[in-house]
Amino acid sequence: MILRSILLKNFRIHQNTQVEFSDGINYIVGGNGQGKTSILEAVYYLCTTKGYNSVADGEVVSFNETFFEVSGTFRDLTENNLRIYYTLEDNRKYFFVDGKQIYRASSIIGKYPVVILTPEDHSITQGSPGDRRKFVDSVISQSSETYLQILLDYNRTLRQRSSLLAQIKESRDRSLLDQLDAWSQKLVQCGSELIKHRIRFVSEFNGYVNDSYNLIMSSAEQPSITYEYLEGNSLEGNGQETGKIEEQFTLLLEKKRDDELRRAVNLVGPHRDEFIFRINNMELKKYGSQGQNKTFQISLRFAQFFYLKDSLSKSPVFLMDDVFGELDTYRAQKISGYLQNLGQAFVTMTDFSNYSYLSRNQDDYLIKVHEGQAAYG
Amino acid sequence: MQIAEPLQIAIDELSKLPTVGRKTAQRLAMHLLKSNTKDVENLVRAIGDLKTKLRFCRICFNLSVDEVCEVCKNPKRDHSTICVVEDINDVMAIEKTNEYNGLYHILGGVLSPLSGTGVESLKIKELMQRLENEKIKEVILALNPDTEGETTSLYIAKLIKPMEIKVSRIARGIPVGGDLEFTDEATIGRAVLGRIII
Repeated sequence: MILRSILLKNFRIHQNTQVEFSDGINYIVGGNGQGKTSILEAVYYLCTTKGYNSVADGEVVSFNETFFEVSGTFRDLTENNLRIYYTLEDNRKYFFVDGKQIYRASSIIGKYPVVILTPEDHSITQGSPGDRRKFVDSVISQSSETYLQILLDYNRTLRQRSSLLAQIKESRDRSLLDQLDAWSQKLVQCGSELIKHRIRFVSEFNGYVNDSYNLIMSSAEQPSITYEYLEGNSLEGNGQETGKIEEQFTLLLEKKRDDELRRAVNLVGPHRDEFIFRINNMELKKYGSQGQNKTFQISLRFAQFFYLKDSLSKSPVFLMDDVFGELDTYRAQKISGYLQNLGQAFVTMTDFSNYSYLSRNQDDYLIKVHEGQAAYG
Repeated sequence: MQIAEPLQIAIDELSKLPTVGRKTAQRLAMHLLKSNTKDVENLVRAIGDLKTKLRFCRICFNLSVDEVCEVCKNPKRDHSTICVVEDINDVMAIEKTNEYNGLYHILGGVLSPLSGTGVESLKIKELMQRLENEKIKEVILALNPDTEGETTSLYIAKLIKPMEIKVSRIARGIPVGGDLEFTDEATIGRAVLGRIII
């Protein structure tokens, strides 16, 4: 899938910016605050109908304006024009595909897969277990609508169950306990489905991470992801019996029951799982250097790209926001070379001349952004 | 704007109805004004009767004219099967199919701690009494396939289990006559997981 062109109106600093893109790498270059990242953000909007980092739509509208608009043309088997229009007045977004209004945003989501690598990715390897679960959930959800539905069902069950736990704690009404059993049963049902999906995912995804990491580093370092679920189960690599998960889940819930009642918190389930990233069997979060962390984050995004490409049979759009600044020359060169394998990519950086070692093919574009205006270089 | 008071009141009352806006309310009011007296009186009586003549069936909590509803009274229906539903709309949906010939039990909601709905605010106790007093062989749980509906099904199924009564849940999956290729991924995914042996 290729994004041919994009038009931004009243989108942050861009009042009216039209850019044509290359099928290869698009280097978007400019100083701070000139509107480089806004172009990536607009591409992300087109693909997902929302901004990344959960920004509110209203914040994207330029000062003193009342609406923003992003439209772009994708080329896959056919060419399709996508347009998103948002007005502050109704605080509503309107979607159009080839001029026809689409009323369900969900019919667009997932059709235009996108992978974005940003400086905020540091939280995936260095942040909390929740950040890692969020990463894994987002990758699986992008490739499986079923997973997303089960996840929503599971999260709803968690909220209902914790509300019931709080009621039991407050009222000391023991007769509510049989209702708790029903919610526990539901928790086990959808929670086990999530765990099984995650097990299958990790065993496949490990290979993708390995390939990407070695292409960037070409050294003997061996990255791995271990999935730890239901306290004490862990899975690395592939193959593991998945039949007994419901049983284990139920047993663990029984064991933790008093604790749960005392604290009124859901203590067991995939919302407490952990994904451990390691390099040569050393835990990255504890022992990894900044450089190893960075390389791992980049490998994860590359792995996500190829995983989605294989499972959706469609090349995602690859966005890379301001990553070269943090890398040494060797790695930057490697990554820049690797980008050539991805097909279409969008890369922001502050100054191209500082990165003369980056590979630039004839059909790659250099797009200079200055005060919300784009020009080719 | 000066409108005769009775007309204004009629428009205001009509526009309280769901899906009726001010313009539609005005059109309806004008239509009623022009209709013959007999028709209007019939409509007024029909609306009034909704509140005065209808009540909930003592047995299944369906809407009923008498103490016991038409379904529970009908000797031709299968009195050994109960279909448990969330509300009266679901009864109407199932009745329209003409596929089901048993009895109903209307819960009046589903378990939802977040909105404060517990067992005591549903007609679960009444259901259990029926299972003890009537000769029931099978209970069909026909609740919505969402988080709360499924949990309520699990809860009821567990209560019934020791009673040696067959409990089933309605199937979920691809709509009949629907095209597999046009069904959303989540439904197909769940339908594959819940496949049956033929």
